[in-house]
Order: sequence, then structure tokens, then C-alpha cells
Amino acid sequence: MIIQPLKIIAAILITGIILVSGCTSTPVQNGDEPTGLTELRFGYQPSTHQIAYMAADAKGWWLEDLEPYGITSTKDYLFPTGAPEMLAMLAGEIDVAYVGSTPPLSAIDQGLEAKIVAGVQTQGSDIVLANDLPYESPQDLVGLKIATFPPGTLQDTVLRKWLLDNDIDPKEDLSIISMTSSGAAKTALASGNVDAIFLPHPHPTVAESEGYGKVVVQSGEMWADHACCVVLVSQKLIDEHPEIVEQIIRTHIKATQYIIDNPDEAARIFSNKITAVPYDVSSQSIQDWDGEWVSDPNIELATALEYAKVQYDLGYTDKLLTQDDLFDLSFYNKVIAEMDEE
Amino acid sequence: MLSIKNLNKTYHTEEGDEVAALSDINLDVADKEFVCFIGPSGCGKTTLLRITAGLEKPDSGTLTVNNVPITGPGPDRGMVFQEYSLFPWRTVLKNVTFSLELKKIPKREREKISREFLELVGLSKFADSYPHELSGGMKQRVAIARALVNDPDLLLMDEPFGAVDAQTRNRLQHELLNIWEKKKKTVLFITHSVDEAVFLADTVVVFTARPGRIKEVISIDLPRPRERTSFEANAFREHLLATLGAEIQAAID
Amino acid sequence: MVQSMDIRRRILEITSIASAIIIWEIIARIINKKYILPSFTEVVTAFLELVSGGELYRDILTSLNFFAIGMGVAIAVGIPLGIMMGWFKTIDKAVDPIIEMIRPIPPLAWIPFAILWFGLTQYAAGFVIFVGAVFPILVNTYTGFRNTPRVLVESGKVLGCIKNRDLIFRIALPAALPSIATGVRVGMGVGWMCVVAAEMFGVSTYGIGWKIWHWNDLHHMDMVLTYMLVLGLIALVIDRLFRYIVQEWWLKWQTGVVV
Repeated sequence: MIIQPLKIIAAILITGIILVSGCTSTPVQNGDEPTGLTELRFGYQPSTHQIAYMAADAKGWWLEDLEPYGITSTKDYLFPTGAPEMLAMLAGEIDVAYVGSTPPLSAIDQGLEAKIVAGVQTQGSDIVLANDLPYESPQDLVGLKIATFPPGTLQDTVLRKWLLDNDIDPKEDLSIISMTSSGAAKTALASGNVDAIFLPHPHPTVAESEGYGKVVVQSGEMWADHACCVVLVSQKLIDEHPEIVEQIIRTHIKATQYIIDNPDEAARIFSNKITAVPYDVSSQSIQDWDGEWVSDPNIELATALEYAKVQYDLGYTDKLLTQDDLFDLSFYNKVIAEMDEE
Repeated sequence: MLSIKNLNKTYHTEEGDEVAALSDINLDVADKEFVCFIGPSGCGKTTLLRITAGLEKPDSGTLTVNNVPITGPGPDRGMVFQEYSLFPWRTVLKNVTFSLELKKIPKREREKISREFLELVGLSKFADSYPHELSGGMKQRVAIARALVNDPDLLLMDEPFGAVDAQTRNRLQHELLNIWEKKKKTVLFITHSVDEAVFLADTVVVFTARPGRIKEVISIDLPRPRERTSFEANAFREHLLATLGAEIQAAID
Repeated sequence: MVQSMDIRRRILEITSIASAIIIWEIIARIINKKYILPSFTEVVTAFLELVSGGELYRDILTSLNFFAIGMGVAIAVGIPLGIMMGWFKTIDKAVDPIIEMIRPIPPLAWIPFAILWFGLTQYAAGFVIFVGAVFPILVNTYTGFRNTPRVLVESGKVLGCIKNRDLIFRIALPAALPSIATGVRVGMGVGWMCVVAAEMFGVSTYGIGWKIWHWNDLHHMDMVLTYMLVLGLIALVIDRLFRYIVQEWWLKWQTGVVV
């Protein structure tokens, strides 16, 4: 009577073992041998923060500069926020991510193997409040609904930290509503479903130009010189093709310098790539924002480590991440040293 | 008591064809009379019963019960269907009380009356059972009690014992006659069985094949209680079978 | 004999679940990447943390609140409309084309309008759940009414039940109850699935569905999986509870029929 169930257990176990061995053997073989890399996959977001990537792409610098290293094509993926961008990196779908400095934290905490190798920009996000609401101090936000990017993104982290600094409990005193895209957040503000939005540029300028609200706080006032976007590259790329990582940093430095020198051209490149934002709006955004394009990761290091502390305190990460977990400054420092020699 | 004059009924099929179901029916039924309808399948006898119940309307002709024209279903006529028709969500007792509820008779009183009728059909013990717990014969007995509790003058029965086995059927026939004698209702009873007709009826109405007409009205003037196998009963049976046989042949042709 | 069969079935059930867990644990350990597949032990740890933290209860209550709003309205709309369409041919002919147009639209496609019409409130979430649940209830009520045995309606008529209102409430409705119960049960299944989507767009900062997205954004896949399992477990409890209530109270007259 008892034999039959035993047989079934045995059958299930054997099937399971076959499945397990079948699933795992192939990827291990593929993963071990480094192959000649010919295509580089970038992730970025529709923000003026990351025009450096778009400029290098528009000018054809990525292909031109990386061609000597065997790269024959680049591919890019546009992400509405950093959260899905990190999910794509966890899935191994992108090699280089232009991303806020906080989304990598929870991803690295949960096992993503990647390092921040360069800076992109600081500050540059604004709180836009509905036209009919008054604002004099952070206390005016109590009881309101504020839409921002999902948990763990830069905006979410900066906003929560700033609220806590002003004795406002982000969980109880107001509602922070997580939006999967800037479009959804702007629609929510326009339709009166939220009272305020906290978004990276150019979206605050877009919202103002479309008459949904007014900018009341710039993120530099919330947290002076806070780090924002960074260049994150996969550990695989660092280990297997350090020379490509170095060249990515050189090209990134060049592109960053170019847009700092030519802000009009930067706005044009942005509007060509993100066609939903017309040139005059992106140009206005670059005039209005409090952001600053930088390529030096050392500038962003201090706040990034503070973010790690904030996220750990919020329970977003299981462990308190350190500089060694997050940064690999050696590439940037080496490139700069070489450039100084030249 | 029941008077049917010049009644005609035609059906329209979905294809648009016309099928004559009943043609020129004239029939008078006396008070307390037990009448059996017999005839080939599809001869319209069920249609006539349904028209009498008020579930269908004739194309022409008149029907009156106690000189009142029939315009729809009414409490003066009760009906027992061929299929099992008890409400499955009601207990046996609640099935019987159904029509009394509609008449807004107080609960205590309607249950008292209903229990009397359950007693009459010998199912008092099953008052709180649900229909699915009963046998086919029991279900039809409850259906009879349910029809009688309304105190109709005319009881219409459409092959009520068609689906039960022969032994049960014999017993049910006996019980029906007992009830009929006690309550003295007029009964219209459709059957396929010549035996049943001869055993039950005062009058047997034989129908022709489609379109249904009345072929013959036979009075079964045998004393009650009847002997199923008596010589006289056999004579009626043979006569009926011969009449019916010709009709069944006609229906096949 | 019956008892030993029962025990055997139990053993089989337990071993099948146990082997699934063991296989899961083995696969997770071989992959050894928490974000690809958290192991069983990691999920249990996360679950215990949630239970002791108390936040889980607030999430469950939030989701059940949305669910109750959506289901309540779906039942209040679906059953009466199904009755009207099932009983009155003209209403059926007038309403059916509209229903057939709207029915194939996935509930999630209604999210933009849910927000515009109801704002970022519990009613917006309830609306999405309503859209998911109402059609199974409506269609099953309708079918139940359409399939009312004619003999029961005619029995009612000859017993003096002539008015539409009486026929509907005394005969067609009780006859259709098993079908309606099935509709409600299927509707609850679909409605519960919509909870995850309904909580995605920011109607609250609690809720099982919301937490799935929240922890997904933070890449804590052990938490994602824990909330997924909670979601499934609650669906199971709701379904069993409903079946019990229906069988013990509502449809006691029906035996051998599993709703």
C-alpha cells in the first residue's frame, strides 16, 4: 500500500535532479570563456542629466572610439526610471548603465556585480507643486500626495531623507506615490490626482511649461551638491575588457566637456533623441536647473555613501554598503593621470 | 364542468412551416369525472392539456371551466407534469406550501394544511427531505400533493407515472384513485397505457394521429374498485388497442 | 478502507509539496543568485520577518479592502443585470451588444480611466477589480437564468405564481443559484488577480500587490516571492471559505455538485 507513493517521490526527485543539472550546466560553460566582445549595450533615461551619453551617441563617438577595441555596434535601451534599468542589468541585458547613484545600491546589495566608474552629474531634480497650493516650508507638504520615482531611485531617496531631516515622516505624514514613469507622474499632477511631483529635469520644466504647477524646491536646496547620475559598468566588462572600460570613461569625459561648453547643442541633441520634449523646453530646462554635469566619480563619492546609509536605515538594503562595494575609481584616476601627462 | 368548443391549434416551426396540432376539438367533461386522453405520440393531447392549464393559447375555439373562459393559469386548475417538477431548493413540505405562500396564508396554517396533504400521499415522514433524496414515485406523489393543496376543481395530469417502474406505477394508480374518491376532483389524465386508462378512467378519449382530432369517446362503465384482469376490462382493452392500432399505423404511414 | 485511502492521499499530497520545496531549494542553491531565484529558506526567513514586523497584516487588510469594494460592486451590478438580461428578452437584446464589446477588454486596460474617474483612491483600485470580476458573475447569472428548467417555471405558473417578480425571485433565482455561485467564485479569482495590477499605480502605500512592485523596484526578490505566495495563499483561503459557505448554507439542497 505504501509502495506507490514512494515510487512517485522517487520519480519526482529524479525528474528534479535531471531538471536541475539540465538547467545549470549550459550557462556555466558559456560564462567561463571570455569571448571577443563586438557589441556594447547601454542603458539610459530620458533626462537632461544624461545628455553626455546622448551626445557621444549623436556624434558617433562611441563607435569611433571603441572600434579599435573590437566594438562594431552599440545598442541602447531607454528606461523610464532606474529601477527597471537595474533589473535589466541584473538579468545581464546591459553592460553600461547611465543611472542615478541610488538604484545600483539595492541591486548590488541583492547580488548585482557592477561598479560605479564615473560621475555624470549632481543635483538637478525639482519639486513641482500644483498651482493653487502655497509653499513656504517643507511643512506645507504635510498631508499632500507627492508623486516620484519608485523606491530606491535617487528622487525617492533624496525626498525621504529631506523629509526626515525636516521632521516629516514620509510614511505617515504624507503619501509618497511611486510612479513608474515621469509621464505617469505628470499626468497625475495635471489631473489633480497628486498635489506635487518630484522629478529630474527636464520634467519639472515640462510640467511648468504645460501649466500643471510651479517649481518650489530644487534638489540642491534639499541636499547641497548631492550626487545624482553615475556611469555603472558590469563587473564582467571590468574583468574581461578593462581596456574598453577605460575608453568608455575617456569618451564620457569628452562628451561631458562638450555639453558643458555647448549647452545649446546639448539641448538640441536631447530634443532630437527625446522628441516628446521640444528644443525650447529642454533649452529652458538646462537654464533653470541647479544640476551640474561632472565626470569625476570622486565628486559623487561622499553623498553616494550617505545614500547607502539612508537606504540601509530605510530597510531598502540588507547591509550597509561601503565604497569598495560600490565604486571602482581606478579607471577614472588612471585615465585622468594619462590625460594630465599628455 | 369543462367545456371545449371548436378548438384549433397550429404551431409555427422555426423554419416557418405550419404544423396543425389540434383540429376541431369538442369535448365536455362532467364534474368529478375521471377522463383519460390516449393517442399516438405527437397527437396533441399534451397540447390540449397545456391549453387547459392556461400555459398555451388556442388559435380559435373556446374553453370554459364552470362557465368561466380560460385566459391563463389559475387556481381552479392544478397540474402534475410528466417530468419531475419539484423545486429542488425547497424541502418536500416547502414545495407543498408554495401556492399557499403566494396566497399569503400564515405560515402555521399553510404548514398544517400541507402536512395533511402529505399524509394523504403517505409522505409525512419526508416533510423535511429535499427532492433529490426521494425516489421518482415519491416525487410525483409530492407533486400531486402540491397540486391538490391549492384545492383546484380540475386536476390535469400529463403522464405523471410515465417514468416510474411498473410496480410503483400500479401502487400510484391505486393511491390516485383513493385520493380522487376522497377529494372528488375532476381529472384529465394523459397516458400511453391502455391498461392504465381502463383501470382509471370513467371516460377514455382517443385521439387521431396529427393533426389531433377526437376519434372516439368511450365510457368505461365498470364498477370500482376494478379488477385489472376481469373479462370486461379485457374487452375494453381490446377495443382500445384496435382503435389505437389503426391510428398508430396511420401515424407511421 | 476509506480511511486508509484518505491517509494515502494525504501522504501523496504532503510528499508532492515536500518534493517541490526540496527541488526548489536545490535549484536555488545551485543557481546561487538570490535575485534570480530566492531559496525556500530565504523566503521563509523573509516571511517570518514580515509576520513579526506586523506590516504584513496592514498589507493584507489594504488589499482585502480594495477587493471587497470591487467584489461588492461587481456582485451588486452583475447579478441584477444578469437577472434582467436572462429574464427579459428585450433587455438582453439591447444590452448584450454593449457587454460583448466591453467584455474582451482586459481589466488592466482600464487603469488610466480608473485613475481619471476615481483619482488615486481605493475606489480606483476597486474599479479595476470590479471590471475583472463583474463579467463572470454577469454571464453566469445570465446563463443560470436562461437555463431555468421550463417545467419549474410552468409549475410555478400553474401554482399561482404569475407575476414576473414572483417568477424571478421564487423560481428562476433559486434555480440559478448554483450558476451564480460559480460566477461569483470565478469572479473572485479574476478580481484577486487584478489586485496586483490595481495596486501598481499608487493608490496606497500598503497592499500585497503594492509590496510586490515595491520590493521588485528594490530587487529584493525574496520579498517579492514571499508576497506572491501570500497572494496565492489568501486566494486559496477565500476560495475555500466561499465554497464552504455555499455548500453548507446556500446550496445545501444540492448534493454531489461541486460548485
